[in-house]
Amino acid sequence: MKKITIDPITRLEGHGRIEIFLNDEGDVENAYLQIPELRGFEKFCEGRPVEEMPRITPRICGVCPGAHHMASTKATDAVYHVDPPPAARKLRELFYCAHMIHSHIAHFYALAAPDFVLGPMSDPAERNILGLVSKVGLEVGGEVIKHRAYAQDIQAVIGGKATHPVCGLPGGMSKPITEEERKDFEEKAKSEVEFGKFGLKLFDDLVLANKEYLELITGDIYTMNSYYMGMVDDNNKVNFYDGNLRVVDPAGKEVAKFKPADYLDHIAEHTEPWSYLKFPFLKKVGWKGMVDGNDSGVFRVNSLARLNVADGMATPLAQAEYEKMFETLGGKPVHATLAFHWARLIEILYAAERLLELCRDDEITSPEVRTIPTATPDEGVGVIEAPRGVLIHHYQTDDRGIIEKVNLIVATVMNNPAMNISVRRAARGLIKKGQVASEGLLNMVEMAFRAYDPCMACATHTLPGQMPLEVIIYNCKREVIERFSRL
Amino acid sequence: MRDVNFKALVLGLGNPILSDDGIGCHVAAALKERLQETEADVLEAGIAGLDFLDLMTGYDKVIIIDAIQTGEGAPGQIYRLDLEAFNGTRHAASPHDVNFATALELGRRLGMPLPSHIDIFAIEVADTSCFSEECTPEVSEVIPLCVEMIVQELRSSTLKT
Repeated sequence: MKKITIDPITRLEGHGRIEIFLNDEGDVENAYLQIPELRGFEKFCEGRPVEEMPRITPRICGVCPGAHHMASTKATDAVYHVDPPPAARKLRELFYCAHMIHSHIAHFYALAAPDFVLGPMSDPAERNILGLVSKVGLEVGGEVIKHRAYAQDIQAVIGGKATHPVCGLPGGMSKPITEEERKDFEEKAKSEVEFGKFGLKLFDDLVLANKEYLELITGDIYTMNSYYMGMVDDNNKVNFYDGNLRVVDPAGKEVAKFKPADYLDHIAEHTEPWSYLKFPFLKKVGWKGMVDGNDSGVFRVNSLARLNVADGMATPLAQAEYEKMFETLGGKPVHATLAFHWARLIEILYAAERLLELCRDDEITSPEVRTIPTATPDEGVGVIEAPRGVLIHHYQTDDRGIIEKVNLIVATVMNNPAMNISVRRAARGLIKKGQVASEGLLNMVEMAFRAYDPCMACATHTLPGQMPLEVIIYNCKREVIERFSRL
Repeated sequence: MRDVNFKALVLGLGNPILSDDGIGCHVAAALKERLQETEADVLEAGIAGLDFLDLMTGYDKVIIIDAIQTGEGAPGQIYRLDLEAFNGTRHAASPHDVNFATALELGRRLGMPLPSHIDIFAIEVADTSCFSEECTPEVSEVIPLCVEMIVQELRSSTLKT
């Protein structure tokens, strides 16, 4: 049999790419991040019944099916002008807290922590979750797997399927949970709270206690003075499932707070000839190019953005950690891109505490989980905080509920301008006089965009099991001088 | 005779609404029709990384079907791979999840009951970026062949000598 070795670099398309251009002096002139785009989704949806969308949209992405399912379900509520009963809303939020935990754990422990625990310049063969467990102990790996599995179990029971949920319907949920299931969730939620605390302790011991890492986090190359957008509840606390979208400026002042349905009044999209992805910006501030600051409409979403726009966390342990983060990093808002990781850990704790609260809610096992829609369907917007940030689903239908138009704005696209700025700034700060060749330095450039937990496409499963990333460096004559692939 | 204690899982990976990307799911769906329930569990999933561990735990043998783009083969070409093919990538991190080999290695170190045999059927694909429930013709054509290969593989490995 012919022996085949898989080399992702041979993939002709479909991988992310960072291109770095050097000037005559060998310094970074510019850098671009390119992310592949999947085509034809709108066309694919047209002509289908809108209630199919919550089952179709989780297929867009193998990484965040729960987020698409919930945003889509909320959009169908809006299309049918129906309010789900309280128990259905709570059950959705419970499911969704489990989803956040599941997603954030993978990102932190598998992708972010190795850079800090083993060091950003350490041997790439060691700089991964295997190296991490070698260093901090095998039992940590066991806890990571266990708590991801707990979160997954909760999603599977409510969602009806292990990976692609089918529970959300216009006006509610397909079925309630039993008392036995509630008890099981409660035990798991208690354990998730402990694990959430553990994550922050680990961050304290391994990252914050290390002066070098703290300097890295707060240093110029990973700082960006942008606007932020995120969802808040009636008390301006972080909420993943429902609320208004709030925007703060680079000084932390609220400049907008709006209902998700009004997103088109606030978000516009710029296009560039070199990128498949669009570049969303704040309409009222305007597009000033790939720059940060008060005059540029570039904004950021995801964990740190959520904490920056909110007045606090709605649960006590997460609130204490929230205060500690802002105190340590010099007050609100925090512009340190690497602090997205810290914020993510605080969110795991919040999601776990909220999960436990919901498990103990008297109404959570109520059989009243559906309001049957009676209005004529027309148009609706559903917004949720995906693990990666604000996710918008907007559908228009005919009077039979058949899809005529679909618009989705996903979080990774919202962060596209910011990721480009962050990558360029890191490249400029790290690559000087053409001295680029080290893998560690390029890893540090990548860290600038990895902090955003970008979801680069939906083909994550295509062998060899991930989306490869390529870094290409050009000299002043536009000749390729280095090419690295992150396999 | 068949060893009744031998547990096999067939895992079709991919996105069934993204053209050829969903070939693993299409083959798995066809296999469900073809196999008796006792022969193997058949699952279709669009997953990656650490999620593999949850699904594979407790099986003796796992067969994975997925799309591949080697850039060299013709669309529809079927490759039979084993984990060694991934040795070059085992220790690398990916932009959003660990790769398959890393996830397995972690599971082994943690002492999880993972399968001793993992076979991979990878099908060379052409289009993985347009939304469609159909694969391209060259790729669709090989579904029956791939199904037969997997049926043979399962039946030969579950027979006691």
